[in-house]
Amino acid sequence: MSFFDKYASLIPVLLIYVVLFAIGILVPGMWQPVAFIMFYITLGQAFNIFLGLTGYVDFGYVAFLALGAYGMAIAVESLGGANLGFGIILIGLVLAIVMASILSLAVGAVALRLRGAYFAIATIGVNEGFRYFVEGARIWGGSEGIIISGAMRNIFGRETANFISTFVSDILVFIIAILAAIVTVLIMNRKMGYALMAVREDEDAAKVMGINVTKYKVMAFIASASFAGLIGASAWTLKMTYVFPSDVFLITYTVEAIVIVMLGGAGTLMGPVVGGLIYGILKYYLSITLPGFQLIILAPLLVVIVIAFPEGVVGALKRKARGNARKYLR
Amino acid sequence: MELLRLDNVTKKFGGLVAVNKVSFTVEKGEAIGIVGPNGSGKTTLYNLINGVYAPDEGRIYFDGKDITNLPTHARAPLGMARTFQIPRPFGGATTRENVAVGAMFGYAKASVDEALEIADEYLRMVGIYDKRDVEAAKLTPLEKRLMEVARALAMKPKLLLLDEVMAGMNPSDIDKLIELLKRVKEEEDISIVSMVEHLMHAITKFAERVIVMHQGEKLLEGPTMEVLNHPKVIEIYLGKKVVEDAEG
Repeated sequence: MSFFDKYASLIPVLLIYVVLFAIGILVPGMWQPVAFIMFYITLGQAFNIFLGLTGYVDFGYVAFLALGAYGMAIAVESLGGANLGFGIILIGLVLAIVMASILSLAVGAVALRLRGAYFAIATIGVNEGFRYFVEGARIWGGSEGIIISGAMRNIFGRETANFISTFVSDILVFIIAILAAIVTVLIMNRKMGYALMAVREDEDAAKVMGINVTKYKVMAFIASASFAGLIGASAWTLKMTYVFPSDVFLITYTVEAIVIVMLGGAGTLMGPVVGGLIYGILKYYLSITLPGFQLIILAPLLVVIVIAFPEGVVGALKRKARGNARKYLR
Repeated sequence: MELLRLDNVTKKFGGLVAVNKVSFTVEKGEAIGIVGPNGSGKTTLYNLINGVYAPDEGRIYFDGKDITNLPTHARAPLGMARTFQIPRPFGGATTRENVAVGAMFGYAKASVDEALEIADEYLRMVGIYDKRDVEAAKLTPLEKRLMEVARALAMKPKLLLLDEVMAGMNPSDIDKLIELLKRVKEEEDISIVSMVEHLMHAITKFAERVIVMHQGEKLLEGPTMEVLNHPKVIEIYLGKKVVEDAEG
């Protein structure tokens, strides 16, 4: 495969990001809905690295977003007086990655020895367990959480702090989405991508072929969790300027992430983008036109789509695609 | 030179002794056949050599190393490859990608680009090159078997374990496959162990030596024709009565 063929599939994805960004910037009043939709696309992109590429369902995924959110909050709260300027955001992002990846390594090393449904069940406990641990042990502010709005104002001044929460945090989500897409393609093009494909299709045969399945699963898990940490730090802590355990350890987000990946097409690069677009747009506009009813309407709609496209929208398109179109759809 | 050695290997499943104190060796560049009726412990033997199961007793040596407790995935890179009795393609991937996986993670340890080229080479060799971009799940049963042979050969193994690879093939396909295996065996100095339940005719054309398994034990071992004509072998396949009648 030529270099172009290997990376061609990034073009349509990045094109969609550019179009969304342009709509958000150029059309008045559209930045907020674009950021809302982009959160779901990015969540899907990040989760796809694990769920899509390995075929394992992690029901505790939101715990990694939560730890990322705490990472940022802890950095701002404890280093707020150190006069670091924007450096503190960078430190917060690094801490978010570190905390999310340590948890993923710990969970992965144990739970990834389990298969399919057993893994899914084991991971449900991680999220709930961690939440009650934070609340019960009263670490990181316990159930009162961490509020960083004051610290942000002290560090950056009122206007810049506002700008970070209403704009910079959303830009960061865009950047995370781009990075997650690039990392996905890099993995797919490497031996790791082929190893994960084999794991997804037939894990026992993969072992016989010489693939260290646990190693590759853990690697995908850590990569996916790190991106989750970045999303939590940016889209939650920087945007909301507070972290409450009851808000961040919410299994709803895990379910939404699963729906987005499945809807778009698990294991495809374009899938989470399409899934995120459909889910984000529906949820945003239904909550405006029929407030409170969005979940009731979304559920049957999703059932229909999942029955009509069991491999996801992009998975179905990919099957139909011939020749040149294939390299743009992966 | 000795490539594989099993030393008194035993595997039990609860009360059932699937493989009972079996010992044998495979020399470098040798082709041997393992025959035995259904349930005689052949597949368990493969799973022990392959590391799918660990033996309860005995040791297994490969290329001078004790591999008894080595995990499954660590064995292929040493130069071991196998096909499965019921083909196990990575269904969602293309035929070419399937074979490339073998080249990447087997003894060949090829890079992705090299592996895709190696895949093309072996797909041509087994004659399914025109199916390279087809999803492996959509191949016919015969093509799936050939894909597995290509995938195993792409690993550049020292030892190739074939599990009923010729079952269900017509005689001309069998002859073609045997020709191919003989050729790669000569060219690349591979040892081949082929396991069959019924295709004695194929084994006579191919194996230099035969091991007969019966109820988990090694019944006989020796030069192919000599062993296959042994009354005991005819007895386990056809029953005692037939043999006595024939003799009497």
